[in-house]
Amino acid sequence: MEPNQVKSFTERFLKAYDCRIIEQTPDYLQTQLSVKTDKDLVHRPFYWMYVEKMGIKPQPVTLTFAFEPDKAPPKIRSELLSFGSPRFSQILKSAQKNGRFVRLYENDSGRLRRRDESKPYTPWLGVNYKLSYICDQKKDEIIQLGIHLRTGDLLQGFFDRIRNREWSSKLPTHRHIIPALISVPEAVGEMEYFLQGIIEQQDLSWARSAEERMKQELARLDAYYPEEWRMSDELHSEKRQRIRETIRQYHPKVEVEVINAGLFYLDEDVSFHLTPKKHPIS
Amino acid sequence: MKSVPIRMDRRWLNTFQNHMETDSGWSTWERFQLALEAAESQIIPDFDTLQCLRSLQGFEPLPHQIKTARRVLGDMRGRAILADEVGLGKTIEAGLILKEYMIRGLVKNALILVPSSLVLQWTRELNQKFQIPAVAHKKEWMWDHCDLLVASIDTAKRNPHRSKVLSKHYDLLIVDEAHKLKNRRTKNWQFINELQKKYALLLTATPVQNDLHELYNLVTLLKPGQLGQQTAFSTNYVAGKRKPKNEAQLRKEVQQVMIRNKRSDGHISFTERKVQTIPITLSPPERELYEGITRFIRDQYRQGMGLKNLLSLITLQKEVCSSRDAAFLTLFKLFQKGEQGKEELSPEVHHLVDLLRRVKQQSKVEKAIQLIQSIDEKVILFTEYRATQDLLLRSLTAKKIPAVPYRGGFQRNKKDWMMELFRNRAQVMVATEAGGEGVNLQFCHHIINYDLPWNPMRVEQRIGRVHRLGQTKDVTIYNFATADTIEDHILWLLHEKIDMFRTVIGDLETILEQLELKEGVEQNLKRIMLESGDDEEIRHRLTGLGDHIRRAREEVETENHRRDVLLDGTQSS
Repeated sequence: MEPNQVKSFTERFLKAYDCRIIEQTPDYLQTQLSVKTDKDLVHRPFYWMYVEKMGIKPQPVTLTFAFEPDKAPPKIRSELLSFGSPRFSQILKSAQKNGRFVRLYENDSGRLRRRDESKPYTPWLGVNYKLSYICDQKKDEIIQLGIHLRTGDLLQGFFDRIRNREWSSKLPTHRHIIPALISVPEAVGEMEYFLQGIIEQQDLSWARSAEERMKQELARLDAYYPEEWRMSDELHSEKRQRIRETIRQYHPKVEVEVINAGLFYLDEDVSFHLTPKKHPIS
Repeated sequence: MKSVPIRMDRRWLNTFQNHMETDSGWSTWERFQLALEAAESQIIPDFDTLQCLRSLQGFEPLPHQIKTARRVLGDMRGRAILADEVGLGKTIEAGLILKEYMIRGLVKNALILVPSSLVLQWTRELNQKFQIPAVAHKKEWMWDHCDLLVASIDTAKRNPHRSKVLSKHYDLLIVDEAHKLKNRRTKNWQFINELQKKYALLLTATPVQNDLHELYNLVTLLKPGQLGQQTAFSTNYVAGKRKPKNEAQLRKEVQQVMIRNKRSDGHISFTERKVQTIPITLSPPERELYEGITRFIRDQYRQGMGLKNLLSLITLQKEVCSSRDAAFLTLFKLFQKGEQGKEELSPEVHHLVDLLRRVKQQSKVEKAIQLIQSIDEKVILFTEYRATQDLLLRSLTAKKIPAVPYRGGFQRNKKDWMMELFRNRAQVMVATEAGGEGVNLQFCHHIINYDLPWNPMRVEQRIGRVHRLGQTKDVTIYNFATADTIEDHILWLLHEKIDMFRTVIGDLETILEQLELKEGVEQNLKRIMLESGDDEEIRHRLTGLGDHIRRAREEVETENHRRDVLLDGTQSS
């Protein structure tokens, strides 16, 4: 993230988590954190224990952030927020911890509506997955999936398609939900099956070469240690340990984590015009 | 290979269904978006890029350090010996590697084993340069509760720590000064061998010193079997204790696990050091005081005063070369001591105090001010004595030259603050201590040695703060030398005789170890000053010591050269 991205992310974060902005200039920003944010960003568990036990009115801290090294405010003690700075890492962590699960209804655009008629919503489950390809090295990929909870249609890039729509946390009046036909666990099963397909159809040369390296290392260990019957107990366990270490170091695997997930109720008539992708494996 | 094992995380599903059932606990649209964006910003798109570079604050690693980190992460798969020559930033390289693994989530816990004198320095460097929250090991419980620990190897290898450490799996182990692991029969070697680690970095400037088997032991610790079984190694590669055979093959094997950057590599450049001697002539009252003190010491020596006391008297002589104020303090102590035993102050001491009182102006201070005014850039001035430091600060302030103090006794915060002030506001820093390796004064390129430490290590440390990797300008070193005093002799030894200021003496520590002196250089010098009858004898004995140091240096250089030939295939020239 560039300084201006760090800045706009921070501003949105503070706003979304009810922190009070005291002063805001193009170069710096002063804020009094909300209680929730204070607990995430400022490490002072004893203070919170004390406040809660004694029933005292909490005093969240006030922080001043600058975003570029040469633009710190004069006279005020500020901290530089940049990608990689400890505080910004905490902000990113807090954002991920607190934005995991939603249930949202698409905002009523008001079009095609008569007063006495209730309009239906279609239920979708959206999940943002992080795939990590791991051996002695690692890389990640984010895959956004969405599944229609009535038809089972599966969409990649689901989140990007709904990103620009308006959402509300409450079911608007004169609206109703068409019940799902597929349960959430079933839908998740479908998604996982789909992901497995993606992974297996990928170029797996990274995993093959990691496996190859692992074999070489293991062969070298075999050549280094004497034959089984000549080894003392200590040497035996040493060799076993070396083998374990080697496997831990090289063994290729894929770890799939969920970043966040939500139930999204979409306007039926403005549902996706694009044809959903078919299952790659059938 | 048909497929890879996949681990699906499903722990989230329960919570999600819980929210559905209770219809509560949902987050908001904006927070949901922020969470995804946060995750997106931390994605690692490739196996082999250096992600850590974009998250470093306030310092930029040098090209050879970045290249080294890349090779270790890529080609060497996280197990390597970092064998750069002294001063090229092995710590930085290790920090880059640790940071990269942490960002990628491949290292969650790491153990950094260093000599106990370096524990705090390592911790600070990791914290400040890399924002790695490493902690210095202090208590036994920390083994279980801290993920990133810097500990002394001597502590860690002893129980109760030992069993704790051995019971854990470390994602990364870093061992600094790893030449202490050259003998496989030692506790150190066996301890590191037993440690459970995924990645490992061994740092040493001298991977082989006396015996090729040292190299074998080091490599075996890292990658058992890389150089074959021990007997095979001996037959294949060892012709004599220090004499290898099949060198090209051995080098090839070693280079797969070892990286060694050298000063002589074209891409690593150091700027020049310029040395100027600033001669100072004492005014008649100052000269009288100096002579008075010299006579006093000689008399005491002849009267058979205890050696220990005598050596501290030499300090008085050193001090009087620095400033009247510095000498005054020591004299004052002598005075107090005298009073306890006797009714009256001895006439000799009394006389000295008298002489001291008569000194009104100090030639050296005047010279310093003159010089600083003529330099008109940032200057760091080193002195050995607090009293001199105070005097200089007073005198500079009187001349409206902005100056800040720096000394060992300051709290960490205050030290950092003084550095900031020096960088941004002051022209001069008057320091009694060089500060640790982490102290970085590259924005300054003038050093004044107002007086000289008699310990060469301390001299080198002073210069090393300013003249180091990353310094872009030539550095000028001004040495003050008061004519016809012991200071003159010392400067002669360090400058003329062993050329300590102009050239970077690679590994001074090793050279000084090589000397095998019973006492340190400093003590030796004091003894010479004390025992010699006249200047001629002093010069004669200093020549002896100087030659001794020169020989040691040559030996170390030959040794280094032999190592270079072996490890890098450098041809003899």
